[in-house]
Amino acid sequence: MDRMSSKQKMIRTVLYWGLPVLAVVLIIVGWIVFSAGHPDLMPAPWDVWERFIRTFTRPIAKTTLIGHAWASLRRVLIALLISWAFGIAFGILIGWSRWARAFFGSIFEVIRPIPPIAWIPIVIMWFGLGEFPKVLLVFIGTFVPLVINTSAGIEMVDKINIHVGRIFGGSNKQILKEIVIPTALPSIFAGIRTSVSSGWTTVLAAEMMGAQQGLGSLVTRGWQGSDLSLVLVSVITIAIIGAILAVILQKLEKVVCPWNNK
Amino acid sequence: MAADKKNLEAKWSEYLKQQKQANVKYMLLSAAGILTVLIIWQGVVMLGLVDSHLLPPPTEVLATLLDKFTNTVPDGNVLGTNILASLQVALSGFCVAIIIGVPLGLLMGWWTYADRFIRPIFELVRPVPPIAWIPLVVVWMGVGLKAKALIIFFTAFVPCVINSYTGIKLTSQVLIDVSRTFGAPNWLIFWKIGIPSSLPMVFAGIRVALGNSWSTLVAAEMLAASAGLGYMIQIGRTVARPDIVIVGMVVIGAIGAILSAILSRCERYFLRWKVNR
Repeated sequence: MDRMSSKQKMIRTVLYWGLPVLAVVLIIVGWIVFSAGHPDLMPAPWDVWERFIRTFTRPIAKTTLIGHAWASLRRVLIALLISWAFGIAFGILIGWSRWARAFFGSIFEVIRPIPPIAWIPIVIMWFGLGEFPKVLLVFIGTFVPLVINTSAGIEMVDKINIHVGRIFGGSNKQILKEIVIPTALPSIFAGIRTSVSSGWTTVLAAEMMGAQQGLGSLVTRGWQGSDLSLVLVSVITIAIIGAILAVILQKLEKVVCPWNNK
Repeated sequence: MAADKKNLEAKWSEYLKQQKQANVKYMLLSAAGILTVLIIWQGVVMLGLVDSHLLPPPTEVLATLLDKFTNTVPDGNVLGTNILASLQVALSGFCVAIIIGVPLGLLMGWWTYADRFIRPIFELVRPVPPIAWIPLVVVWMGVGLKAKALIIFFTAFVPCVINSYTGIKLTSQVLIDVSRTFGAPNWLIFWKIGIPSSLPMVFAGIRVALGNSWSTLVAAEMLAASAGLGYMIQIGRTVARPDIVIVGMVVIGAIGAILSAILSRCERYFLRWKVNR
């Protein structure tokens, strides 16, 4: 390495810390300037803040912002628990047994490319706008990535490890439990991570198509009532919750599969 | 020795034959799986276990599919027009996202200052689910092609950037050091070493982006459009025509699968230098 003069060093430090600050400042200034020029297209940051406070003092659809966020989260969590149970089991089944992969895998391959959002109209036709159809939609959206990742993880297990297990007299069940599933765990966890973000997106879409409560319904309400501040408040809330979910999963992954240090 | 060899060859060809038979068996099983579902579907509708106004039998869905190629009822477009409208929106947003997103991710991964400047902006946009952009974009730009393409752009852009960034960060330090030793300037190393070695990751990102684009497209068309497959299934719901909805879902799924197969082809072409193990 060439030696840097102290002046050069200082310039680098200033750039290193200055650039991110500059970026954030630019965004905020851009927002303020744009909203001042086009108040009908974009509310100013303080308007959004005011609207945020107002969601607590004047509830929408009989509940505050927190209530709506909880309504969305609850739907996702219920659907996730169900699809974790069924998706991982189904993924292991079609990853492990060639017979099951041929029979059920072909059915799965036909359903798989249909995006979860495309299920919304038919599910609404069948089950209406209540709680069950929304949970069902999130289930569909989270089931697919789980099965794909789980079965791929199971198939990728080194054949030699399975053979060793068999030579040492392990039963099918033992090999599956002691060798295959632990090896596939990082891949299964990747499926879990995808399923959470996919579930969070799907619940919003489902709520935007028609719901009494939930962050997605707030977006639609603000949109139809030309209340863009409300739209922004809900979008920002959605983004923050999504980011928090991602961080929780990252931490969880370190606990569940600590050997997967990438 | 000769006898041994002959014996081995006989065993080998027997083994190959067995494999072939097994393959045929599993292919038949696959077909049986799909057939079983179709038969159960047809059966429950014909036996009246499920109301055919809610779930039309597969035969009716097939008839509607064929009819929809020439019939504009109920959404005012034939199937071909809807497919073209959807493809146009999805592919334009998707292509712009690749053209901007991939170089941006590569730059961020290679030059620290680009990373420092762009990352805060990117991290603000990233956690917003693309669907949440729809109302804002519609208010800004209406419901035209540009607006929908912008929504698709948002959803395809994020995986393009993340994967290009990760891909180029994973470039082997040894290769970089070797080129530096031989006196290559930084931009040349970026061009000759960084970009090729990041390509597999870039393609993985493009694959995710394609899936996102196609599924967000459906959402965008369901909320704001006057043509397209998403619009068609939305209208199908409002006029209570489940056969139209199911035809739309099947076509959406089929086109999604075709697009992803095309992408696999491209990937194999661009990565043909990679040793397949």
